[in-house]
Amino acid sequence: MAWWISSQSKVSFNAVIVVPDIMENPESSERTGAEPPASCFHPATKAHRFIGLVLMCFLCFGSYFCYDTPGALADNFKSDSHLNTSQFALLYSIYSWPNVILCFVGGYLVDRCFGVRLGTIIYMTIVFIGAVVFAFGVYINAYWLMILGRFIFGIGGESLQVAVNNYVVVWFKGKELNMVFGLQLSISRFGSTVNFWIMESVYQWVATYYAGYERLGMALFIASLTCLGSLICALILGWMDLRAEKALRQPEVQIKQDQPFHLKDILKFKSVFWLQAVICVAYYLAIFPFIALGKLFFERKFDFLPQEANTVNSMVYFLSAALSPFFGILIDKTGRNVTWIILSIVTTIGSHSLLAFTFVNPYVGVISLGISYSLLASGLWPLVAMVVPEHQMGTAYGICQAVQNLGLAVTIIFAGIIVDNYGYFMLELFFLGCLFVSLIAAVLIYILDSASEGVLNLSPSARESLAK
Amino acid sequence: MALLSLAVAHDRKISSVINPGCPQCSDNTTLVYVKCEGASDTIHQIWDFTRGIPTVIFAVAGLNSTLTITWVLEDPKTFELSEAPSYSFAVALDKLYEYNDLDDNGHYDPKLPHHIYDLDHLTWHRNESNITDKEAMVRLYANLYNENTADFGTIWIKLDLLPYKDYAAELPHLIHTANSTLFDVSLANLSRSCGYNASRYALRLLLASTDAASQTMHLTVRKSLDDEHTPGVFEVIEIKTPALYDEEVGGYLQFRPVGYVQPERGVASSTVAHFSYFNRTNLASNSTLKRFYDEYAKAKLLVQTMVVSFGEGGDGYYAQHNYTAWSFAAGYGLPPAESVSWFVVLVLSLGLGVPVMMTSLCVAFAMVRRRGQPASRIRFDNEDDD
Repeated sequence: MAWWISSQSKVSFNAVIVVPDIMENPESSERTGAEPPASCFHPATKAHRFIGLVLMCFLCFGSYFCYDTPGALADNFKSDSHLNTSQFALLYSIYSWPNVILCFVGGYLVDRCFGVRLGTIIYMTIVFIGAVVFAFGVYINAYWLMILGRFIFGIGGESLQVAVNNYVVVWFKGKELNMVFGLQLSISRFGSTVNFWIMESVYQWVATYYAGYERLGMALFIASLTCLGSLICALILGWMDLRAEKALRQPEVQIKQDQPFHLKDILKFKSVFWLQAVICVAYYLAIFPFIALGKLFFERKFDFLPQEANTVNSMVYFLSAALSPFFGILIDKTGRNVTWIILSIVTTIGSHSLLAFTFVNPYVGVISLGISYSLLASGLWPLVAMVVPEHQMGTAYGICQAVQNLGLAVTIIFAGIIVDNYGYFMLELFFLGCLFVSLIAAVLIYILDSASEGVLNLSPSARESLAK
Repeated sequence: MALLSLAVAHDRKISSVINPGCPQCSDNTTLVYVKCEGASDTIHQIWDFTRGIPTVIFAVAGLNSTLTITWVLEDPKTFELSEAPSYSFAVALDKLYEYNDLDDNGHYDPKLPHHIYDLDHLTWHRNESNITDKEAMVRLYANLYNENTADFGTIWIKLDLLPYKDYAAELPHLIHTANSTLFDVSLANLSRSCGYNASRYALRLLLASTDAASQTMHLTVRKSLDDEHTPGVFEVIEIKTPALYDEEVGGYLQFRPVGYVQPERGVASSTVAHFSYFNRTNLASNSTLKRFYDEYAKAKLLVQTMVVSFGEGGDGYYAQHNYTAWSFAAGYGLPPAESVSWFVVLVLSLGLGVPVMMTSLCVAFAMVRRRGQPASRIRFDNEDDD
């Protein structure tokens, strides 16, 4: 039994896919009776799996791309749709609300009701519909429809990632699995990055044909095409998976979550777990609302042009995509997760302080923020698996995701109100306050772990020798 | 010089009166005289609307100086200070520009088609006033008429003096002091001229100071880290008279480059305020400023104008909301600067202090414990052996 830590969602990033021992690689010995591959497109070949990998990577590209379209066009939402920051922030917040609950049932529905193929297509369709409804809401300047669109988008977005993770496990269980998870995450993150890079140009191009909120709506319709692309990927992948299942005589694998959510497990969690949950919430509050509201901050405080502001804003995602695999290896080799976590929280505090209290080029602050964030994600999420027994893992990660979504849902609204009434300086101070809370939680973990002579902050070799 | 700067930073005792020495004046005549007595000098402020052009004059003179205004009917003819002022400067809103913003960027450019409306024919109606020893405030409005004498909109102006340092209650929350007056102007329901599809409006400010006419006003854009009081706006724009720029005692205008397109001011209803370079000009012969400065500063008077325009590309021009408001503070002495609030200090001290204290306590505790049990953590030894 292995725990595969992967980045799962826009807000929770790392979830765990439990791979039961019955899960088999398509190339493994269980394919008894399979004919030798006739061509490179035969389901048993590496080429076939490579095509599958490409499709899986782009399955979440669309949803990640569209998640941050408001952030990339923040100033246009103000000037074209006349939204204040609180209304704008609700566009992000509403995405998180359904996921407070859905992070528990999304995976279950894939496992028990839809299956991987249908589940992926259903969730991707919901995501696409959400993106189109949102664009239509902007196009006719109906705020309630924008909110509805983002809500629908949120219903599909998080669950889609669970479904895609299942696909990855079904196809790549074996040596390639970690790499595929990492690659899939990086391409997804790249979707957010590309969004920040190109949406301003798309908007400017549309502006030559349309005016007012209609041009913003049209730009979002074009953005929603990425979701259509991802939906096509889902359909092709579904067909390939069906073909592979028939050719290899392998019934569609139902990934059994043998660590389901049990509410009563909550009572058994150690205090260290709850402190980790505090970091999960408090630290991420200083990242995602910042990116969502960052464009105007860079434009107004640092006099950046809209495209420049988007580029600097995209650096956190870009660095996360690029560095996460390396930091994963670093943490694997060095252990001492708590020290890394404290270090990354301290450097994040430094990054936000640079942005808040100085006029130093924001690239410095944002790049160090991106590096710190990637390091924290690599150090934090494996920690959950160390403090919670295996049979409570599903509950533990579910709790982390739920409280994180709840925290984000509430806080993004709060962040919008802060900007409207007290400005970006106070918003930065709020982020620093969140980081201070997460630093206190991390220091407490360090103290509790040291006091109980725990393993959280040991090197891998020390952990191994202790295990013996 | 240091003593003078210190003196102007103190709060002042204010006494104000509307139309002093003019019992026959009606509500349609407004001249407010505010005497601000400090520790070492007195600032005489005259807020005049009697000749159409809204004008604020600052004259700094000795402690016991007095100002006498003589009237002919409802017309203030002379302004007599008991002693010559040591310094004086003034700001007036003398023209309104309507321009067809074909570039759609909000900037006023004289090359764009435009109309100029002189404000000297306006009749100001006093809508509200609060004249006490704690505040001097008047709010007036005037209807605008075009060349066909048709009413095409209303200008509202509010002048407010609160004799202590604080942030104004209303956005953009400019800082007021005992030495300054808040000037708030709104353009409501202005109808655009025939043939203009992209009408925007700009205000021409006239600045005068008792500096050499060969000198110039200085405009500086100062960046502030803190946008707490004007959310999303980090710039503070300051116009300093030559005396203030060179010797740190003179007049200033301070404002944020932000206007509002709805009476309910907020981030969503904010727009950009643009400002032009200075141009030199002369005082109009029939103006209050001319009458005032002819007494004291015939030889030495700097007069310049500046145009402030509003809007940003794609905002639907003035017609989108039919409303634009803008504020500035005019004052004497060093312009006030924002300071870090106690709340910021509290958050930072607690945020950094608590983890550091916890870590220190933890280290101290561990050291004490380790001294008692020197070999309790053998795992690190194993690690090194690996």
